[in-house]
Amino acid sequence: MIQMFHVYKAYPGDPPVLSDINLHVEKGEFIFLTGPSGAGKTTLLKLLFCGEKATKGQILVGGRNIARIRESAIPYLRRNIGVVFQDFKLLPQRSVEDNVGFTLDVLGVPRAEAREKVHRMLKLVGLEHKANSYPLRLSGGEQQRVVIARALVNDPTILLADEPTGNLDPALTLEIMDLLNQVNIRGTTVMVATHDSSLLARYQKRTVRLERGFIVSDEDGVKAARRMMAV
Amino acid sequence: MSALAKVSYFWRSAAGGLRHSPFVHFIAITTIAIALFAAGLARTTGRALDGLMASLGGEVEVTVYVTPELVPEQVDALRAKLETASGGQAVLVKPAEALERLARELGDLGDALAQLPENPLPPSLELSVAPERRTPELLEALATQIRLLPGVTGVDYGREAVERLTAIARALRFGGLVAFAVVLFATIIIVSATLQLAIYARREEIEIQKLVGATDRFVKAPFLIEGLLQGLLGAAVALVGLWAFGRLVGPTLTSLFSFLLGPTSSEPLVRPALALELVMAGGLLGLVGSFIAVGRFSRV
Repeated sequence: MIQMFHVYKAYPGDPPVLSDINLHVEKGEFIFLTGPSGAGKTTLLKLLFCGEKATKGQILVGGRNIARIRESAIPYLRRNIGVVFQDFKLLPQRSVEDNVGFTLDVLGVPRAEAREKVHRMLKLVGLEHKANSYPLRLSGGEQQRVVIARALVNDPTILLADEPTGNLDPALTLEIMDLLNQVNIRGTTVMVATHDSSLLARYQKRTVRLERGFIVSDEDGVKAARRMMAV
Repeated sequence: MSALAKVSYFWRSAAGGLRHSPFVHFIAITTIAIALFAAGLARTTGRALDGLMASLGGEVEVTVYVTPELVPEQVDALRAKLETASGGQAVLVKPAEALERLARELGDLGDALAQLPENPLPPSLELSVAPERRTPELLEALATQIRLLPGVTGVDYGREAVERLTAIARALRFGGLVAFAVVLFATIIIVSATLQLAIYARREEIEIQKLVGATDRFVKAPFLIEGLLQGLLGAAVALVGLWAFGRLVGPTLTSLFSFLLGPTSSEPLVRPALALELVMAGGLLGLVGSFIAVGRFSRV
């Protein structure tokens, strides 16, 4: 599903943010990207949805080389990738329903069909009763669930989540992680960037660790969890 | 995927944009309205001036002096030639008639003419020229052609007056065009700037749209429609303004200038053709302004 070959990312005048990244993610896999702040987790995710362009190397997403993608083709790639941000990126003046339906507006889905899809998705994230509320009236966990609903409403094959629980308390964190786990069980490839080691121990998923732009370890869930517990 | 759903979204989004930043759009709509109001007034004034030029131009005739020795048949033949060449009518003015006219024009001094031993004025043919041939160049050519005809001793067509009128008309048209171009340019800049503000106010929305897979065209379309709506609303306001102006100030202006402008000034200010022109100009202004504004999307 995702393949990265000798990928580098550097900004002029600075040392590389990512160096020699080689990563293969299978379809339907759940993978944690972990590491300290500034390790390159967010940049790696950005490369996958063309928020940034790799300086060197090849990146295949669904068999397509996105390191050489044309600017005009980027929107079509993004329609297959749902993205969840730590700072939510919700539109405060739009209702929950409209925020989730935003993706479908872009795709030109007829309104009746879009409404039905939005309600199905809100039900999945447990927010069907908040369809007409506005984001600022929701808790952090609820806002993040709206973001997840927005990311999933057009059935993307990949879900990228950048510190999705970074702003949430422990109870809400588990709520969101359970939701991402459910999404993965339904067949979506999920990639979560987090520096929260308790999540790695709890969910026992494949974990890729980045440090100073390099992949320093790539372990299966059990091994990673054991190491976390030992620490 | 439905194109209809997308179009419906564009219009909803554009209408939402107008509601979202009412003050910014108010400025743009008002600017367009003022520009179109001024353009509408200029068009009407221009039409009145054209009428004035035509009426003044109509008074310019070519006077062809002929030798007194011509017999009536020769005069008739010459008149026929003049009418063919000018596309107008030629009237014979006999010397006695000309002297009488001169005496009338001189008023009290005219009595002095009675003391002359003989009438010094030659017979003449007064030739009216078709309106399309009243340019200085064509009149000059006509005069040259007439001078060569047998029996003609001189030609006078008020050359200076024609040249001056034409120069005034040309200057007015050129001045109007320059003023219109300046207003047009300023309006486009203001419309474009207000739309850039609107785009900036919605940059988060644009960012999310792009993240969920919106193409540039999809992001830009609502703003282009917003510009079009601004233009159409501006045109509507301008038309209402012109109509109100015509109703409130029109009668006063008509009575003030009727001696000069004649019956053209009594025409309604807002005619269907003018309304259509202003609506189209408004739409175009809005579209061009928004087109320039959305051209900078990559910077959002």
